[in-house]
Amino acid sequence: MPDSANAPKPSSSVKLVLLGEAAVGKSSLVLRFVNNDFQENKEPTIGAAFLTQKCNLPTRTIKFEIWDTAGQERFASLAPMYYRNAQAALVVYDLTKPTSLVKAKHWVAELQRQASPGIVIALVGNKLDLTNDSGSSGPSESAAAAAAEGGEEESGDARKVSTDEAKTYAEEESLLFFETSAKTGHNVTEVFTAIANAIPETSLKSTRGPGAANAVSRVGDEQRVNLTGPREAVKEGCAC
Amino acid sequence: MESLGEAPWDAVICGTGLQQSLLALALSRSNKRILHLDPNEYYGQHEAAFSLQEADSFAAAHALTTAAADAERSISGGDGAADQATTSVAESSIFRNASVWKHAEAEAKGLSFSRAYTLALAPQIIHTRSKLLAQLVSSRAYRQIEFLAVGSFFVYELAHDKPKLSRIPSSREDVFSSQSIPARSKRSLMKFLKFVVDYDSDDQKSVWEGQADTRLTDFLTSQFKLDDSLRTYILALTLTLDGNVSVKDGLAIINRHLTSMGLFGPGFCAVYPKWGGLSEIAQVGCRAGAVGGGIYMLGTDMHFQGGADKEQMSLKLSNDVDVRTKTLATSRKNAAADAQTVSRLVAVVDSPLKSLFEILVEGAPTPVVAVVAFPSSSDLADGEQASDAPVYAMVHSSETGECPNGQCVIYLTTLAEPGAKQRLNQALDTLLQAVSVNQNTATSLYQLYYEQSSSEKAPLIETHGSSTVFSFASTSQTLAFDDSDLDAVKSAWTVAMGSDVREEEYLIFEDREGADVDDDVYD
Repeated sequence: MPDSANAPKPSSSVKLVLLGEAAVGKSSLVLRFVNNDFQENKEPTIGAAFLTQKCNLPTRTIKFEIWDTAGQERFASLAPMYYRNAQAALVVYDLTKPTSLVKAKHWVAELQRQASPGIVIALVGNKLDLTNDSGSSGPSESAAAAAAEGGEEESGDARKVSTDEAKTYAEEESLLFFETSAKTGHNVTEVFTAIANAIPETSLKSTRGPGAANAVSRVGDEQRVNLTGPREAVKEGCAC
Repeated sequence: MESLGEAPWDAVICGTGLQQSLLALALSRSNKRILHLDPNEYYGQHEAAFSLQEADSFAAAHALTTAAADAERSISGGDGAADQATTSVAESSIFRNASVWKHAEAEAKGLSFSRAYTLALAPQIIHTRSKLLAQLVSSRAYRQIEFLAVGSFFVYELAHDKPKLSRIPSSREDVFSSQSIPARSKRSLMKFLKFVVDYDSDDQKSVWEGQADTRLTDFLTSQFKLDDSLRTYILALTLTLDGNVSVKDGLAIINRHLTSMGLFGPGFCAVYPKWGGLSEIAQVGCRAGAVGGGIYMLGTDMHFQGGADKEQMSLKLSNDVDVRTKTLATSRKNAAADAQTVSRLVAVVDSPLKSLFEILVEGAPTPVVAVVAFPSSSDLADGEQASDAPVYAMVHSSETGECPNGQCVIYLTTLAEPGAKQRLNQALDTLLQAVSVNQNTATSLYQLYYEQSSSEKAPLIETHGSSTVFSFASTSQTLAFDDSDLDAVKSAWTVAMGSDVREEEYLIFEDREGADVDDDVYD
């Protein structure tokens, strides 16, 4: 690429797969990240969904291609088609539901066994708004509501998985770790930014120039073939 | 959530090969209830892509010789769905004689771990004019596939007893500037290229129609006075396995090649989907099926049990669940007695073979696939196993995602005649010698060998009352994707759609919400 100051930032696509038990808030996290929106009582995802969202870093742009799988997947046959070639995975559990962490650990093990080598895995405990330490905004209405309905301890805290437990596990397995609230938006963008930062440059070379690995080619050549438009735009980008 | 057997399915698709997966894509917006099975524990069936470990298992599962496979077939019965009660896709006789070989010091020489590799059973290149690409665009499925450019075509030659790869000129400009073609030959070649671009016009048809079914190579001599080496170049571009392509077919293929050049950018006529070729397209079809609400089950086979009633048929799944459906789409599992069989050798090589992947045209993308043709294997070092059938090698750089940096994967194919395996090995050795630099001959670290036959060519359609079993024929063995494989997908879709069919809407979809990215051009 030209090294002039106003040159566009390199841009790369990153395939990200979302895994986790049903109803832990996978789709809600993506909805918050992509549309900055939240829906109470969202319908369960059927099959799977595909969304894209860009993440601007200081030195590059990452375009996430997000595969949201159905948590209630009955036959465990969907996930392999998503985590194949995925560069990142977001494994979600509900921090008010200990069994969902068990399921999350199962997904982490499966990813480590089957997914691409070097995949970046983030472990995310969602529904922080149902606990007492829901980020900067303090206990939310829903935490109070949940406490009232569910008869939680007088603290109004529905948390059943301690931060320490999940964090220790994440450190042992070299996972990124966050506690989020898709409802309030707390920490959601941070998860995706952290993943974007953790993707090694080397695994990004495919969508942008060939990098050092292929000295034959000139740096900055676009490799991905565009099937829909004329090539002029790309050519302009490289010719300057 | 209801169980599998409770309500009837609109369609059960068995097998996740390219055609069934494209069918799943085509049905993904139909709101029909789809159950998509595969007896294997992996996606892709005949078009799968494997890690080394999976390749080992595949070889073990298909190690039977031809005779043993035939014996097995005679026990398991015929080809129809009703007869298939005893045959599973996994036991299909399409693949046979498979084996793997590993260099004694493979790991020391750089063979990485199993999942660092993606070895494709179907490494077909896709010409830019292929209908497949148009359908992937109109269905919006292309967004999830990374298409990479196919680069140069080479022909192996012996020059002064030294193996040499000569690059076939890729355009008229290329012919003009070529140093290796004599001026006189250039004129003949230019005349031929001009003719072939326009060969199907009324004017030009008269030139060849009378000889439509004769050999292309004779036509090139008689009509265009092309010399030996130019004829060899032209034949290599046809990628035909028996070297005897007819005038009619040959001209169509060369025309496709030339008119595909430059369509999506300078310097390439075909593309290759990253991460395992057609396997990746099959995956994308299944993902679209899942997004549309289809239920996916791997490791599950089904047996036809007959018509349940007038409307539906009954299937027994291998997990003992009975399901009912109006339409079943599956595959013809048995090789046809007279089917063409090819021998394939997939080799992981410890060198990037960079000289094969040069950019030759300004502004062209870095090519990731190079094609090397060995016109007749009689030229190969060992004369004993000679054959007139050519050997083709598709060399894939690590940019395809199929191997780690610094290595490449070579897919060699020839007709499965006696000695084919030795010829493939010789072709591989010769290729590595021809591209070696400074005496450092590249070494093959891991090899998967297998023979691939094909079923009867047409799909088999059986009706039981008002329900239908549609069995796809196996996909073509051609080295470039053959658009005729797409016809059966549309037929099956028509059957599955029933009275809801609207032909003009076939595979034409809007982007789903959230996926409508407007940045095809990277900023």
